[in-house]
Formats: sequence, structure tokens, C-alpha cells
Amino acid sequence: MFAIFVCLAIIFIFPLYWMVISSLRPEGRIFVDAMEIIPSALSLDTYRRLFEEEPYLTWFINSITQTGGYALMGVFLCTTGGYALAKFRFRYRNLLFILILVSQMIPFHLLIVSLFLMIIQMGMAETYQGAIVPLAASPIGIFFMRQYMLAIDDEMLNAARVDGASEYQIFWHIVLPNARPAIATLLILFCIDYWNNLLWPLIVFRNPENFPLAVGIKRLIDQYRQQYDLTMAGSTLATVPVIILFFFLRRQIMEGLATTGTGVK
Amino acid sequence: MLNSLRMPRRLIPGFFHHKKVVPFVFLAPFLTVFLIFKVYPVILAIIMSFQNFQGVKSQDWVGLSNYENVFELVRFSQALTNTTVYTIGTLLVLIPLPLVLAVLLDSGRVVASTVFRVLIFLPALTSLVVAGTVFRLILAKDGFLNLFLEGTLGLDRLRWLEVSELALPSLILIATWRWTGMNILYFNSGLVNIPQELYESAAIDGASPWKMFLSITLPMLRPTTFFVVVLSIIGGYQVFVEPFILYAGGAGPGDGGLTLALLIYRTAFTSFNFGTAAAMGVILALIIFVFSLIQFRFFGVLGRED
Repeated sequence: MFAIFVCLAIIFIFPLYWMVISSLRPEGRIFVDAMEIIPSALSLDTYRRLFEEEPYLTWFINSITQTGGYALMGVFLCTTGGYALAKFRFRYRNLLFILILVSQMIPFHLLIVSLFLMIIQMGMAETYQGAIVPLAASPIGIFFMRQYMLAIDDEMLNAARVDGASEYQIFWHIVLPNARPAIATLLILFCIDYWNNLLWPLIVFRNPENFPLAVGIKRLIDQYRQQYDLTMAGSTLATVPVIILFFFLRRQIMEGLATTGTGVK
Repeated sequence: MLNSLRMPRRLIPGFFHHKKVVPFVFLAPFLTVFLIFKVYPVILAIIMSFQNFQGVKSQDWVGLSNYENVFELVRFSQALTNTTVYTIGTLLVLIPLPLVLAVLLDSGRVVASTVFRVLIFLPALTSLVVAGTVFRLILAKDGFLNLFLEGTLGLDRLRWLEVSELALPSLILIATWRWTGMNILYFNSGLVNIPQELYESAAIDGASPWKMFLSITLPMLRPTTFFVVVLSIIGGYQVFVEPFILYAGGAGPGDGGLTLALLIYRTAFTSFNFGTAAAMGVILALIIFVFSLIQFRFFGVLGRED
């Protein structure tokens, strides 16, 4: 039994191993040496070329900026909105909640043409706002926050109200500190989500100077000469941050993904 | 605790403290973005599906002709067939395999089960772009898989990326790699909820592990299984990035890797036929809507609400 799982684990890890190894082979050896599962010659030359011949560093920085912007904005919208849905009664609340849940079923491919026209008309094509804002109101994100906020003790909030705290003080000083674990989880999930996203940034950006990593890697592999070595080096560097994050925050990521379904999109 | 609360409350105008206004202040940021970038584009897309576009500007109403075009399109029926076969294929692999693995990992007979869980889960963290590029390398004519088939197993090389019939198997292979760990996670959370007493009393009655799996585990996992099936169907019908990367933005040999989402993207941004792309989007949305309704019907709002 143990042996079976060892084999399985090797099979599942192998493509990742292969990506790293292929990125480290000397130039032109990716296919020639493909039978060398443990390579005899390693070289960091591909990585040097990746940074010298391609705007990889720019893409990496773009990814960090865009991912950060998206995650912060998404978490802000979902935390405030989730609090309103969980702790206040107001007209049309249930209707709105159902609308948000139904919107979760809409495939993004229905929206690509209309959103594309919208960002062009709004002058948001080729901008970070254009890449971030249309994705930021995540239905599953607000649902996740609402579920968490429901568990916050009403009596604690009411006691503060009796003491004369304003609603905004209550939110800042009581709700936010109590929701910290959920906020952290959502922040991580949003980061992974944008970091790995291809479709929307691909539509928003035409200028390679603005690409995030996913779009940049897509460009690398589709150049006139398939540059597998550069692509593998680029893919490796794009994957490493997520894996590092995962090893520090494994429990949160796995539990977060298990409760939000297919990821936060 | 309340010391920190003694702040001048009148920094914010009185209106915003009104009981009826407060919830909408909290709701406003989400709601604004949601209405502008989620609700409105859906309406706009439906409108666009009845229009004909010359470039991005001038458009005129053409009634149902976009939809008629779509259904007459050979590529559309091919994409629909491909996507359906792909979805069924992923179900055939990605339900039984993770289920069995989850049960085995949960049984306490595997040493270091957490390590295996994590290792099998890792692919789920990679971006689909990376999954696509890595498999494009592995499946290449002189790639590792062919060398392995030939050198180690003595089989013939297969032209994974160049033969129409191998497109969907290749895509299903990628899906298996990427989602097995994720589905194990779902099945695991289902397994945790099975009361241990059921197994204990069955053991007293002398039931074999196989018997227990059939008569306790499987029936008790039915809700989870159903949830994963519906999720896989919804995800399967939207598959895009994998074929998009594998076939360099094309659709593979003989359109073998053409999926609905890929066809929508190409209709919109390669042929610049926005009206037809919108109509295809509406059709895809309807397909997904039907499966989501089934999920709603059986699971309450999002499957996991309790």
C-alpha cells in the first residue's frame, strides 16, 4: 500500500520536477537529454537569458503589483459587503443575496465580449484598473466572508453600541479583529487566483510591458521558435512563490479551497 | 476594551450614522463594482447576442440570426461534442480515483498519509498556464512521455499533440494531474463526517473492509460525490486554458482540442465576431445554469452551507 502511494506521489510530482530540470539543462539540450531523468549537466544560463532577452522581470513585478491590488480590493469589498449581509437587516437583502449567488454560476466566457467593450469605452484597456476592478466583486468571496461573520457574537456588538460606539468604530475595532483569520484566508486565495489567472489579463493587455506572468509565459511558448527552455524557466519562477506560500500556510489554503469550491473565482 | 472606542464620532457626518443608512455604506463598495462589472455585462452580453457588430462601434439588431449562425456552424457542434466528451472523460477518472485514494488515505493504513495528500495536491496550486506548458513539453513528439513509452515499455511513440483523436485524452490527462488532489480534499471532508460508530458496529458484526466500503462509505459519501460531480461538470464545460496553451492558441489538429470556451474566445478575439461570440456565451451559460440548478435543488445554496 505504501509503495503504491510512493509511486503515485512520484507520478504527480514528476511534471513539476520535469519543469525545473528542463529549465536547468544547458542550451539546446531539452529534448536531446530528455532520457536523462537525473541530468548530468546543469546550467543557470537559461535563467540569465530569461532576464536579459525577455522582459521577465517586468512581468514578475507586474504580477506582484496586480495581484496585490486585486487581493486588497477584493478583500475590502468582500469584508465590508459580507459584514452588511451577515449582520444587518435591510430591504431586498435576501433578493440581493440570491442575486450574488446566482451570479456565481455565470461563466466568465459569457462576459468577455461585453466587458471588453466596456473597458475600452471607459478608457481602462491596457491599465491595471482594467485588469483588477472587473474581477474584484467576487460572489464566492462575499459568501465566504458572510458565513464567517454570521458567527460573530451579536451581544458583543450590541454592548459596544450601548457604550456609544459608532457603527464604523464597531467595524474597525471589533469586527475586523474578529474576522482576521477569514480575511487572511481570503487574501491568500485571491492572491493565488490572480497570480494564476490568464484569460482576463490576456484580453486587457496588448502591450508586453504590462503583462502579468501568466500572459508573459503564454507569449514565451508561442514565439516563432518554441523556446521550451525559457518557458520552463519562466514557469518555474512563476510557480515557486505559490509553493513557498503553500508550505507556510498549508492548512489555511487547503481548508479555504475546500470550503470555497473551485477556488474563489 | 472600550477605551479604544472613544474616538470623536462626528468625524463622519450624522447622515452616515442613521440606522437605515449604515448597512448600505458597508454594502456600497461591493454593490457598485458588482452591479457595474457583473450584472450589467451579463445584460449587455445578452443584448449583444442579438446584434451584429462592424468593429467595436456600429451595431444593428439582427434578431436571432447570431443564434442561427451558431447552430449552423460545424465548429460549434464539434466544440460542443468535444467539451461534452471531455467533461464525461474527466468524470470517469476524477470521481472514482480520488474517492478511492481519499478512502485509503483516511483508513489509517497508509503511513505519512498527510505527506501523500500534500504531494498529490501540489499540482492544484500551479497555474493552468504552467500545467499547459509543462504538458506541452512532456507530450511533445520527442518529449518525455514518448521516450518513456518507447524506451522503458517498448511501445510505439504517439503523436499526442498532432493527432486529432489524442487531443481529448491529453486534456483529460492534464485534468487528472491537476484536480486529483483537490477532489481528494473534497472527499476527505465528506469522510470526516461519517460517524465512526457505524464502522465500529459493522466491525462487531464481522463485516469485511470491502463490505464496509460498499455498505457504509459509499452511501454516506453520496452527497459529497454528487457535489463533486456537479462541480466537475460546471468546470469541465468551461475548460479553456489547457487547450489554449497546448495548441498555441489554436484548436489542435482537426479541431480535436476545440472546446466551447476556446471557440468563444477565438470568435471574439480572432474573428472579431462579437455578436456570434456573445450568442455562444449565452448558450454556454444556459448549459452551466441547468447543472447549477440541479446543484441548488439538491444542496441548498452552495453545497456546503449548514
